[in-house]
Order: sequence, then structure tokens, then C-alpha cells
Amino acid sequence: MIDLLAFLLAGTLAAATPLLFAAMGEVVVEKSGVLNLGIEGLMASGAAAAFVVVASGGSVGAALSIAALAGLVLSCVFAALVLVCLAHQVAAGLAVGILGLGASVQIGKAFEGRTIAPIARIDLGALSELPVIGRAFFGQTPTVYAGLVAVALVWWFLNRSRAGLVVRAVGESPSAADAIGYPVALIRFAAIAFGGVMAGLGGACLTLAYTPLWADGLIAGRGWIVVALVVFGAWRPGRILLGAWLFGAVSLLELALQGVGFAIPSQLLSALPYLVTIAVLALISRDPRRLRLDQPVSLGKTHVPRA
Amino acid sequence: MASPSPTAPEHRAPVLARRRLVTRVEPSRLATVLVPCAAVALTLIGGTLLFALLGQSPTIAFHAFFIEPLTTRYGIGEILLKTGPLLLIAQGLAIGFRAQVWNIGAEGQLLLGAIAAGALALALSHVQAWWLLPAMMLVGTLAGAAWAGIAAWLRVRFQASEIIVTFMLSSVALQLLYYLVSGPLRDPMGMSFPQSALFHDAALFAPLMDGTRVNTSLSLAVIATAVAWLFMQKSLPGYRLQVGGLAPAAARYAGFAERRAVWIGLLVGGAAAGLAGVAEVAGPLGLLQRSISPGYGFAAIIVAFLGGLHPLGIVPAALVMALLYVGGDMAMVSAGLSNATTTLLQGLLLISYLACSLFGSHRLVRVDSLTVRP
Amino acid sequence: MIQKPFDRLAAAVLGAALLSGASASLAADPITIGYVYPSPAGDVGWARELDNGRAAVEQALGENVESVVVENVPEGPDAARIMNQMASQGADMIMLGSFGYMNDGMKLAKRYPDIDFIHASGYLLADNFSNFQTRNYESAYAAGQAAGYVTDSNDIGMVAAYAIPEIVGLINAFTLGARSVNPDATSRVVWLNSWFNPSKAQESARSLIAQGSDVIFSIYQDTPSVVTVAEEEGVYVVNTSSDMKSYAPNHLLASMQIDWSDYFVAKAQSVIDDEFVGDAFFGGMADGAVSVESLSDDLSAEQRQTVEGTIAAITDGSFHPFTGPLVDQSGQTRVADGETLDDAAITSMNWLVEGVQTKLPN
Repeated sequence: MIDLLAFLLAGTLAAATPLLFAAMGEVVVEKSGVLNLGIEGLMASGAAAAFVVVASGGSVGAALSIAALAGLVLSCVFAALVLVCLAHQVAAGLAVGILGLGASVQIGKAFEGRTIAPIARIDLGALSELPVIGRAFFGQTPTVYAGLVAVALVWWFLNRSRAGLVVRAVGESPSAADAIGYPVALIRFAAIAFGGVMAGLGGACLTLAYTPLWADGLIAGRGWIVVALVVFGAWRPGRILLGAWLFGAVSLLELALQGVGFAIPSQLLSALPYLVTIAVLALISRDPRRLRLDQPVSLGKTHVPRA
Repeated sequence: MASPSPTAPEHRAPVLARRRLVTRVEPSRLATVLVPCAAVALTLIGGTLLFALLGQSPTIAFHAFFIEPLTTRYGIGEILLKTGPLLLIAQGLAIGFRAQVWNIGAEGQLLLGAIAAGALALALSHVQAWWLLPAMMLVGTLAGAAWAGIAAWLRVRFQASEIIVTFMLSSVALQLLYYLVSGPLRDPMGMSFPQSALFHDAALFAPLMDGTRVNTSLSLAVIATAVAWLFMQKSLPGYRLQVGGLAPAAARYAGFAERRAVWIGLLVGGAAAGLAGVAEVAGPLGLLQRSISPGYGFAAIIVAFLGGLHPLGIVPAALVMALLYVGGDMAMVSAGLSNATTTLLQGLLLISYLACSLFGSHRLVRVDSLTVRP
Repeated sequence: MIQKPFDRLAAAVLGAALLSGASASLAADPITIGYVYPSPAGDVGWARELDNGRAAVEQALGENVESVVVENVPEGPDAARIMNQMASQGADMIMLGSFGYMNDGMKLAKRYPDIDFIHASGYLLADNFSNFQTRNYESAYAAGQAAGYVTDSNDIGMVAAYAIPEIVGLINAFTLGARSVNPDATSRVVWLNSWFNPSKAQESARSLIAQGSDVIFSIYQDTPSVVTVAEEEGVYVVNTSSDMKSYAPNHLLASMQIDWSDYFVAKAQSVIDDEFVGDAFFGGMADGAVSVESLSDDLSAEQRQTVEGTIAAITDGSFHPFTGPLVDQSGQTRVADGETLDDAAITSMNWLVEGVQTKLPN
């Protein structure tokens, strides 16, 4: 029982990390009023790129940089479509997502099925050996802690910094921001670029730390979970963190329940994380006034810039 | 965005700054034809570059991908086979998209349609009557619509984002399918493999073209196109959607009108997807198994956008996408390309289309030629 | 068509050697064999072993054979297109590497009676359509014995994709083997409900370990994902298809190796000789199609002897892993004392033996 609890705690924190990076990126993007549905492709490209670098002998640092770059490049394509070509955000996001998925498969082709040594977990001696919480809090790979730091940083950025305020203003009313003189397109571009970098890093966490191998389909829908998490968390980093933990915990619980041998069909258990997500989403969104307060007003709408 | 009065003193600024992008009320006729052509051309060029980059002979790969499928009866048949579901689902989805209702879960709705029709076929395996297939189509359509309806209800009642709910329900639908083919619907004579018994003839669509897998379900896609076009051209809501599209007027719909848009948008998309599911299992598959759809529900979203969310535009879009799929498969055998190539080209196609669409939906105007609008 | 440069060279060299040798077949046109894999042929796994079979064919038949390989073909209506393309491009034989290609493959076989097919893990047959399966349950039984010896918690954890008969058979054989040396051993299963999800496979392994499993059986996971987790957590692991000793040098208990070389070569040769027969091949230890590799050094000499003795007995046919009395989970006797399950019963197995804690997901 103790071991199971330890596994759930540690596993949840680790599983949530790739989601957190990407979600922190996406929350900034959405706060600026842009909906990017191509996260899956961005994460995939970051994951493949990072893996290829390490599998070819590169350092973890180089891998992370290349992954961030991959996310950045793709998100720039998205930004160009949405900000310059004034394309519909949903379509553009999906297009870039597909491109990213295809690119990831192509990049990783020669490395499919290989494994690499994952980033080592930290070892704090006696602390890491503590029952239940030892591995979960003091024995994770550094990416897990970095993820938590990212949440804190993005929270601070959005809520306490001037730049964050500007981003939110752009998201609430781009025309008003435009009138004041803020370069709406530029700000959104910066937000989208940040989102791309973070999504790439999230993917890298997956292949460098969590499941240190590469294959087509490794991302397994996480990009969409990230979109859900941002809405879940009402565009607040703290709530998104809780949402990521919830999803991770339910996913692992499903496996543990199977192992216990309940007479519940395993397929139902496999569907459980998604059913829970829907239920919680409905509960969270049910207050329309609350939703209007949290959701950036201009989310998803194309903004045609003034001269 | 208020336009400056033409009589106000303007200070001389660089020429480009005096131009502004203005949304057209309606895309120009020329643009609606040129933009897709430009997108296709860009994709062909990009694709050829990609083949070269991958170390394959561009000419061989180009031929395998784009020419070969069009030159054999089987190839054309496969393109038509793939076009059917893409076209059908895209028509349904486009109606919802035009109303800003984002159904990302057509894949799951397709599966529900397949399951319902399949279950009926298996339950009535002794029935040889003509009404079996239409009955299957009916239950499949209803099942797909119902699955999407869950998302509609959650959106209307709880403001739950349909993007997320439809996607999540897709994953649930897949698990449901796995459960059913592993147990309740499994073929008792099938050596315990997770698939159903083969459907009998009365439960299958008739073949349409000899030597190909094309069957009569293709007509469903054609009918759906006609219905969608009529809806857009002839009905007031449809017309409003056509003109409104992304215009502010559409965004101002609130309350009752928005609820109706959500219900209609999702139910129509779900119904179309469900019907496509019936066409898959009562067509090329002929049974229920774990893998039913090669991603039609998702690909149809791309087709809908590529077609400019217009019923007639979606037809060539579906054909081009089908060509990419079929060409990609053939190129895997004949030119050594990987399955990633198809995905890359599809992404490239949509991106090119979106980029070129700028000129269809907007135009550059000189600022001092604008008049003040109320 | 794909010609990997190295293979071309090898084929040329062998061709020259063959010419100078004796009993080669007549110098006819080379036959073309198409290979369809359900997953990428990585370093290890099911598709890798299929690909090793292809390499063996190229090596044995040299310039008499040309290969066309398409990897990662998802089961479903699209697979038919790939198969058809191979057929229309002039393939003489097509190897279908997964159960899910069965129906479309058979339809194609009927349309092209001149093309010969070999299909993995199915049950349909025709004059030009053979199928082949492993008797992996043989090596599962032997490996299970090793597991029964090394387990302290008497809890064996298994990671499996779906409850298809072949996998059910493996679970049963492994459990029977473990209990034959350790009657208190039990096993449990986590069903991934996906053929490919290495993240989930790893999480499942960790979950099983956290719940007390100290031996993990990784069933048809095409990546070393589960094996590396076991090594990391310090528990023993048995895997299928390929030798994964290099991924778990300390804790690999055994690898259940699959080898299709002889079968593929024989079938290819029969196509060349125009003597193809549509039969069912059930490859076991006696055929050299399955074997137990990298049996851990942690076993005592006596334990090792038992396992190897079992292997020898299975190989010479004196022992059948599914020999009664066999009781299922509900207590019902499925196989009477002294009787054995026949092949048909094995290939359609849909019940789990006593000792498996998890129920089938029906």
C-alpha cells in the first residue's frame, strides 16, 4: 500500500511535467487572445529533436536547446499564419500541428525504437529514501522541479509583471490595446513564440526523462490534454497545475486498479481519465459569469491590425 | 476600428503605412478559384523539394505520389473510396465550424455510428431484406449525432468547451469499441480474436466500380454535399452563415440563437460522422474490428478548412486530400518514402492554403480611399 | 523498389558464391518478396524479428530475391492499399506481419492466385495463403519456471496489450511454468489497450512493482521500455521477441527469442521452386523458431538445470506445457489429467488458468 502511494505520488509529479511546460506556454498564448491547437505537433517535434540529439551523442543541454528551437520554428509558422495572413486560428493551429507531427516522425525515423539513458534523478541521500514522499519530492529528475519553477514564473509573469498585464490587455481587447498604441501583433508573436519554446521543451521532457525512447505516436494525445488543462485551470497557472496532477493521478490509478484485479473492464478503466476530465470540466465551467471573467475575451478571434 | 475622415489633415507617411488590410465582405470569385490552386501548386513544389531532401529521386517520388494514383483504375477507385468519408464528414463539420462550433471529435462519432450499425447487422444476421442497410444507416447516423449531442448538452448546460469534450469523447469511444469487439460483439467462431463476424450481404453496400473497392456509399457523400449546398444557398440561416462567417455579426449571436447553433452544429457533424462510420464497416471493412477509421474524423477537419467551409469547395478539397493519402501509400511501396511524408504534405497543403487565403479574404486598400462608415 | 546498398552488395557476393557452388536453382528472374510490418523495425521487437527473417532470406537466396519493405502499416482499410500496390508492382510473395492484415490479405490472395502469401498470427488458409505463428508458450513456460524460482513475493506482474488468444496463451504458460516449481506463485496483468504506448507500458510496470510484483513479464512490447524500468527498479524481467540483455544486464531473467529465418527461407525457396503450399506453421522450439536466450546467471545450478531440462523436453516433444490437469480461474477443469491441449484450442484460448489474479477484459 505504501509503495503504491509512493508510486502514485512520484508518478503523478513526473507524468505531469511535460504537460506543465506545454500548458504554461499555452496559457500565455491564450491570455494574449490566441488559441493554438497545434500543441501536439509542437511537442512531438521537440521530443523527436531532443531525442535525436542525445541519441547522436549530444549533451542534454544541446538537446533542450534544439527542442526549444524546433518548437520555436513551428510556432513562428503559426504566428505568421495567424498574425500576418490573418488565418483562422483553429485551422492554423491544426495545420501547424500536423506539420509538426509529420516532421517529428521524419526526424526520428532513423532512431525509432532506440533507447537512451534518461536524465538522472537527483539523489539527496536520506531524504530521497523517505517512505512515500522520498522519491516523489526528493528523488525526481530535474525536469520535474523545473516544471514547477516554470509554473511559478508564469504565474508571476501574468499576475505581477507589467509585461504580463500588457499581454492580458491584448487578450481582453486587442482593439483597445491597439488604440492605446501597443503593438498587438508583436506582443502576440512574442507570446506564441514563448508557447512554442515551452511546448518543445515539454516534448523534450518526455523523451529525455520520462520515456527515454522515440517512436511515432509517443505524445499520445498529450497536446490535446494541455488544451483541456488550460481551460480546466481557468487560465490560471495554479489551477492548471492541479489539473495536470489530477489527470496524471487518474491515469496512473487506472493502471493500479487493473493490477488489483477489480472486475471492471480494463477498457472502461482506460477511458476513465477522459471521463473524469469531462466531468470536472463541466463542473468548473458551469458558472457562466466565472467563465467570462477568466476567459480572455478575444480568444480565438482574428484581429485585423490598424495601419 | 474607426477610419480617419478623408478631410482631416494627414501628415505624409511612407506609402505602405498608408495601406490597410480590410476584410472583404465576400471573397472575390477569382480568389476562390486561385487560392486553392496556388495552395496545391505550392504543395507540389514543396513536396518535390521534400523528396529531394529525403534523398529520393524527385521524379520517381513525384510520379508515385501524384501521378500514379490517377493513372490506374485501382488508384482512382482508392481515391474515390477515401474521398467518400472525408467529403461526408467535412460537409457536416463545416456547418458547425461556420457557426463557430468546434467539433474535434468526429473520429469518435464515426466509431459510434460504426458500432451501432454493426451491432444491428450482427443482431439481424438472418435478415435478407432490402431495409436492413437503410436501417443500419439510420441507427448509425443517430448514434453519431447522439455522441456529439453529449458535447452539445455539456456546452449549452455547463459552458464546457466542445473542443475538449468532443476530443475526450473520441478517446472514450475507442475504448468502447475495444470493449465490444473483445466481448459482446466478438465472433464466436473467430478463434477469440477481437473482431466481429463478417457481415452478411444484405448488410453491405454494393460495389460500384469493378476492380475497385468503391461502393454505393459514395452516393451518401454526394447527397450530403447537395443538402449542404442547398442549406447554404436557400435557407436564411445558411445564407447568414455564408456571409457572416467570421464577421462580427455572427459573433454577436447570443442566448437562444447561440444555443441553437451549438446543437445544430454538433448534431449535424455527429450525424455525418456516424453515417461515414456505417459506410466504413458496411463497405471496405465488412465487420467490426479494433481499427475502423484511419483518422477520417480528424482529416475531415482539414478538408473542411481547405474547402473554405463551403459545400462546393469541400469537394475538390476532399479529392486532393484523398489523393495525398493514396499517393502516400503507393509511394511507400514504389518510392521508399515513409508514412511521415503524407502527413508533412497535408500540413503543407493546409498551411499554403491558409497563407494564400489572405488575398481571398482581405485586400490592401489605400487609407485615403476609405470613406467613413457608420 | 527499395534496395539497401549493403544488401545489394551482399546479394552480389553471395550470387557469385552460389554460381560457383552446386545445387542452386536455375538462373531465373529474381522473385520479389514484399514485407508488410505493423510497426517500425527498430532495434528490437516483433517487427525487428520479421526483418531479421527478411535479411536471412536475402542472405540465403542472394540475387534470386529482391525485397520491398514497408514498415509501420496500421491495421485497417489502408493496409489493403499497400498490399495491393505490392501486388500490382509484381510481387511474387507477400509477408503480412500482423493478425489485422488477415481479411484484406485473403481478399487479395483470391484476386491474385499467382501471388503467394504468408500471414502472421491468423487462422485463414488457402492454396496460396499460409499462416505462421509461434509456439511462444513453450519458451513462456520455461521462462515462467525461472520466474517461479526467483520470485520472493510470489507476485508476477505482466504487461500486455490486448487479450488476444496468443497473449492469453503466454500468460497461462508463464503462470503454469512458475507454479510448477513454486505452487504459491501468482500473476497479474495490466492491459494497455494499445499496441503501442511505451509511456503507458512503463507506468504499468512501475504500478505493478509498486503493488508488489518482483518479476515482470513484458509481453510483445516492441520497445525496451518495460525492460529498462525493471532494471532501474531492480526487479527481474522477461521479455518477448528479441534478446534484450543489453538493456537490462543485471536483471534480465530471460528473453523469449523469435527466429523466422528458417521458415521465411523455406517459404521463399518454395516460391522459387513453384512448390508453395498454403499451410499453417506453428513454430516451436523443435523448429528453432522460438528459444530462451540470456537465461540469468542468478539462477542456481540446480534451477538452471531444471529450466534447461524443460527446454530439452519440450524440444524433443516429450513434454507439452499445456498438459492437464489444468484448472481455470473459476475452478473449472479445462484439461483433464494427462491430456494436452491441441493446436486449435491453443490458438483460440480465451480463458485464464488458476493463479492469474486478473480477469479477462470481457
